[in-house]
Amino acid sequence: MELLDIHCTRYNLSNGLEVILYQNNLIPLIAVNVWYKVGSANEVKGKTGLAHLFEHMMFQGSENVPKEMHFKYIQEAGGTLNGSTSVDRTNYYEKLPSNELELALWLESDRMGFFLQTLNQEKLDNQKSVVYNERLERYDNQPYGLAWEIIITNLYDKGHPYSWSTIGFPDDIKSYTFEDVTGFFKKYYSPKNASLVIAGNIDVDHTKSLVEKYFAGITSNDDSLTSPAKDAILKKTKLVVHKDKVQLERLYCAWLSDKAFGKDDASLDILSDILTGSKNSRLYKRMVFDMEIAQDVTAFQFSGKYSGHFVIAATAKPGNSLDKLKSVIDEEINLVIKKGISSHELERSKNSINSGFIYSLQNIDSLADQLNLYNFHLNEPNSFNYDLNRYNAVTESDISRVAEKYLLKPRVELKIIPEDKNGN
Amino acid sequence: MEINRRQRPETAEKADFILPAFSKYKLENVPDIYFIPKHDLPIVRAHFIVNNGSRFDPLGMKGLSNLLSMCIDEGAGKLDSLQLSDAFDILGANFSVTANSDVTMLKLQTLSDKFDAAFNLFKDVILSPNLNEKDFLREKRKIATRLIQLEDDPDYLANSAFEFLVYEKNNPYAYQTIGTKEGIKDISVENVRDFYQNNFLRGNSAILIVGNIPEDILLKQIDEFSRTLKSSSNDHFAQVPPTILKQKLFIINKKDSVQTEIRTGHISSKRNEKDYYAKNLLNIILGGQFSSRINLNLREKNGYTYGARSGFTYNKEASYFGVSTSVGIDKTTDSLREIFFELKKINEGVTEEETGFAKSSVIKRYPSNFETFGHIAANYSNKIIYELPDNYFDLYAVKINNVTLNEINIQASKSINVDNATTVLVGDAEKLDKQINGDEFGEKIFIEFDELFS
Repeated sequence: MELLDIHCTRYNLSNGLEVILYQNNLIPLIAVNVWYKVGSANEVKGKTGLAHLFEHMMFQGSENVPKEMHFKYIQEAGGTLNGSTSVDRTNYYEKLPSNELELALWLESDRMGFFLQTLNQEKLDNQKSVVYNERLERYDNQPYGLAWEIIITNLYDKGHPYSWSTIGFPDDIKSYTFEDVTGFFKKYYSPKNASLVIAGNIDVDHTKSLVEKYFAGITSNDDSLTSPAKDAILKKTKLVVHKDKVQLERLYCAWLSDKAFGKDDASLDILSDILTGSKNSRLYKRMVFDMEIAQDVTAFQFSGKYSGHFVIAATAKPGNSLDKLKSVIDEEINLVIKKGISSHELERSKNSINSGFIYSLQNIDSLADQLNLYNFHLNEPNSFNYDLNRYNAVTESDISRVAEKYLLKPRVELKIIPEDKNGN
Repeated sequence: MEINRRQRPETAEKADFILPAFSKYKLENVPDIYFIPKHDLPIVRAHFIVNNGSRFDPLGMKGLSNLLSMCIDEGAGKLDSLQLSDAFDILGANFSVTANSDVTMLKLQTLSDKFDAAFNLFKDVILSPNLNEKDFLREKRKIATRLIQLEDDPDYLANSAFEFLVYEKNNPYAYQTIGTKEGIKDISVENVRDFYQNNFLRGNSAILIVGNIPEDILLKQIDEFSRTLKSSSNDHFAQVPPTILKQKLFIINKKDSVQTEIRTGHISSKRNEKDYYAKNLLNIILGGQFSSRINLNLREKNGYTYGARSGFTYNKEASYFGVSTSVGIDKTTDSLREIFFELKKINEGVTEEETGFAKSSVIKRYPSNFETFGHIAANYSNKIIYELPDNYFDLYAVKINNVTLNEINIQASKSINVDNATTVLVGDAEKLDKQINGDEFGEKIFIEFDELFS
């Protein structure tokens, strides 16, 4: 599709920083999006959550940018900004009026090259406390909020880089030292371990010279980074019961699956849509619409650089047991495997994916992030058509095949039940 | 290029930004139509906005408008619930219905080449929904279960208790759109059908289209509405004016909770042209964004929270000012003290520098509010809901720029009043009772969530 052919200019600075430029002059905005190739998968035992804590520290100022001024400069210029940490990478991004491109490059380069100079214990203690509260607010104090952490700690072997959550364990968050943070920066926050996307209303040649001006003087370290990859194997099904401050019980089934852009990744995405993506999807129609045994049901394929997993979650309506939900889920999985799916079901999923690709082009900042994502996984930022074709190539038999290949294997079954109830 | 890292780079020459233009049609037999052409991508968005939010729910039927919004797409025209959903999906169109306190909104996003087919379905939902009993009962049971589920969510408990207490029970805005357990009990399918008949009317609704579609095709489509949409009714709403309250602290028990959800605030003036802009700038300084006084104090200085914010929440006929955050239980008193400190301090006024920052951030950010089809549709929907003038978007930046420091300071002393603050804490009541001294934040009242609405 011509619309999805996003022409970019890609090159490297002499210090190894990868630069990707995409010009689109529709409105006078620019998006700057930096990926550092470090995420929670690079953490070590006892220091989980450090990549995410570090993301917070990057907003605490650098040599030429006092604490609190990073946000202030960008907001005063009419921009928006944030960062996020995943298993594989940490990103930092801002969207600004296009006449403030240089401001964004100044700020990003200052914290890439001159961060350690102003780091101090007070800033670290403050952000440890903020992150600890983030964990309380978003995980511990949320109904079902610990489900993700319980699933991955059981699904992956101890030591597998995906076996802890990006927020980190509570005791680990309390344990970070000044040396942990400086060491992390020195090891991972090097130009050669980053890629910079600039998208929007830019002049390519002028932007190149600005990138050179702000980033070329930053030196890369000599560390060669090793990949934390490790095969994930789950030999036996694990049953876990967790008591939570909830009134409705919820069941999660999780299987190890394929990694991002792996051979079966797209088929698993479509399988999740066929199971729970719409009112007519298999599990939604049966459990929520017809039988009314579940309040909600959802399935998704999570995929990272080193592994992936497939999750189905359903909340029981009062008076229905989780075992009843489980047996219906298993029945429907078996039906997909034995009887296959209809061409209509596949067409429905593909049509929504196809239009979703076009809808996704509306935001210049999400487009910039997507260019970095493709570059990270596929080494080619202009991969929208490649990505869409992965989905369009999926056949009906692929859906049955991946259901059989992954969803009949051992799994983690997590039951979340009210605190005053006995789990068995 | 030479580099001086010590200084913020200079701003380059400003690039032009042209606000998207819109056409407004007043045709004889149809609701108001707003059309904003946008041609960069083959996308069309349509919103149908009905003056039918939960403020119109009768007493004893809190949740009626939400039930209608849940039922209205359960089959329409010749299609049953599942067939209708499939028909939208197979076109790759996104369709949703939402109700809030003021309006019900039906939203469609489709590719341009599927517009005709998708819009035909959209019209069917508006003009001839099935509203049959079987679907109604299923959706009602779903809401009943959802109301149980929401009781586990501290954020929901805090928001709904705060809005109920700040507006008080006779005000329609006191209730969440989803309604109450008691409220939905006696609602019948006939109530839902009547509510539809009395509200989905010309003169009580508007259509908004943003996107890549020739005007003649659009007008032909809209014209077909005229045949079926019934004529208008009057606005049958009598607003109870909210009253200013004395400082009080309500503690809602959530045993063993590891955090306290804090909400505090009071009634404010309605959204009108006069003080809206000054209040907007004031709030940016106080708690409207990351670098605001409240967030810098509670998060960046003290580390009590992941984030703290304030805002004026505008309903069409009323509004309130509120601060919200969640903190570790042991820091509840400290956090409340800091919040009250900031609220009192702002009464003394803001600085030139803060004003400059707030204005600059709003004015320079303005173009990005019109980036996507969704942004444009959301902005124009607000224009319709709040009945803003046609030149509202053209004059917005100018009006912000014209606000003086004095005008902000008048609002700073007038529209933030700690003495009238209703505060809601959701957390472990026993621990909170021990921690909070007497009536430091107002008379201390312990209440169970369920008791609130009875």
